[in-house]
Amino acid sequence: METSERAFQAAQAFLLAAKGFWTTTLYDRLRAEYLQQCADQDRQPETVADVAEIVEGSTTYRYFAWLERHLQSAKYAGRYGLVPFYRQRQAQALETLDASAQDARLALDPGLDMPAYYMATDIHQHPGGVWSEPTAGLVYEHGARTTTPLLGGAHADLHTRFTEQVAAGGTPSRVLDMACGFGKSTLPFARRFPDASVLGIDLAAPCLRVAVKTAGDEALGNTRFQQGNAAGSGTDGGAFDLVTSTMFLHEVPPKVLDEVLDECFRVLEPGGRMVHLDFWHLPDPFGRFLHYGHGRRNNEPYMQPLAELDLPRILAQKGFVDIDIKPFNEVDGAVPDASVWRFPWTVISARKPTEV
Amino acid sequence: MSEREVSPGSRGETPRPEQVFFEDPALDRMMGVLLSLATEHCVLRDRLRAIESQLADSGALDAQALDAAFVAGPEDRKDTAAFVEALMRPLLGLQQASGATGAFSLARRRKS
Repeated sequence: METSERAFQAAQAFLLAAKGFWTTTLYDRLRAEYLQQCADQDRQPETVADVAEIVEGSTTYRYFAWLERHLQSAKYAGRYGLVPFYRQRQAQALETLDASAQDARLALDPGLDMPAYYMATDIHQHPGGVWSEPTAGLVYEHGARTTTPLLGGAHADLHTRFTEQVAAGGTPSRVLDMACGFGKSTLPFARRFPDASVLGIDLAAPCLRVAVKTAGDEALGNTRFQQGNAAGSGTDGGAFDLVTSTMFLHEVPPKVLDEVLDECFRVLEPGGRMVHLDFWHLPDPFGRFLHYGHGRRNNEPYMQPLAELDLPRILAQKGFVDIDIKPFNEVDGAVPDASVWRFPWTVISARKPTEV
Repeated sequence: MSEREVSPGSRGETPRPEQVFFEDPALDRMMGVLLSLATEHCVLRDRLRAIESQLADSGALDAQALDAAFVAGPEDRKDTAAFVEALMRPLLGLQQASGATGAFSLARRRKS
């Protein structure tokens, strides 16, 4: 029996509210218990393993971890999950994307090989991943609206805030957005820099179709989307003065990340900037413990490897200059030790030297 | 299409065993049952409110006589949040009325 739209929305609203409880009340309780345990045992944990020794046996943590895993699973794959909802309406849902197939802004590559790591894990617990079926882009777009429940409708503002931060460093004329997905990070650049040409690349054709549809709805003439691999984009060397990505670097294994950073360097013109919004190392071991646990529980296995990389050294070795890695506030007043769970948002930026 | 037809992965492989968080995996699985029931409960509550609203609009129901007439928007969200609060508060493991605490067992009371 097909799930009614109303039932779907009611169930998703429940799951979102439950995630809200998890993000605030349950997280706060877990943190309080952890701090109390540290005080009682006169311990000052320094490593994730230290924190694990204190926390992993706690009942509150077990519920915290279970809910993190299964609220997300229910959101995507449960009876009222996004994947079955869109599968049930596939023909109707895809009609909205029909026009994008002929859109000159879109260049697909049906022969593109999907990397093994990309196929091995269904990231975000999205069954089939964001690439393997036609409705995957619509599912991803819908799911991303509630990635950070406390931001609610302000989630889109996160991208605008990031774009504004990039704009403060200068106005680019040729922008590459790596792993652009359904364009949520790309389109704010296209809007903010109307005189720039903006290219988004991604492995997932279903996501790119959504991106082009949105660009078409907004009549954005300065953006194009191309199916491709950020580790080897096929674009000309020195073709861009800004290379960016949002929540991408943590999705690739270290070896691929190394190739991606090389590609950034290659496609930047001398003096060009790269600016990535991602998640990185947290000084607080409790925060790191939860961050790494999130990676495992949310099917994002490369979150921890990225957070443990010595990025300043790696970027310097690759020849980048003006390397700057700093926390990013996704909303006003966001602080690392807030009493609500949040991602360790980080802006990673560097410049290709003027003379190489 | 049933939710059971949702592929566990993109490779058509046998589903992998789910992650385990509790000392007894039975609790992991029971939590899954509870989450499904809670979701269904919310769907039914929403459905009931919709029916009440339509009946009231058609005059078949005296909306004012109802304890809680259907209210759209923010009130619905508040109601859902209150339901979630009540559902999940037991996870905090705190007593609502003060009394004996700790693990419960009568195993050592051999004289009784």
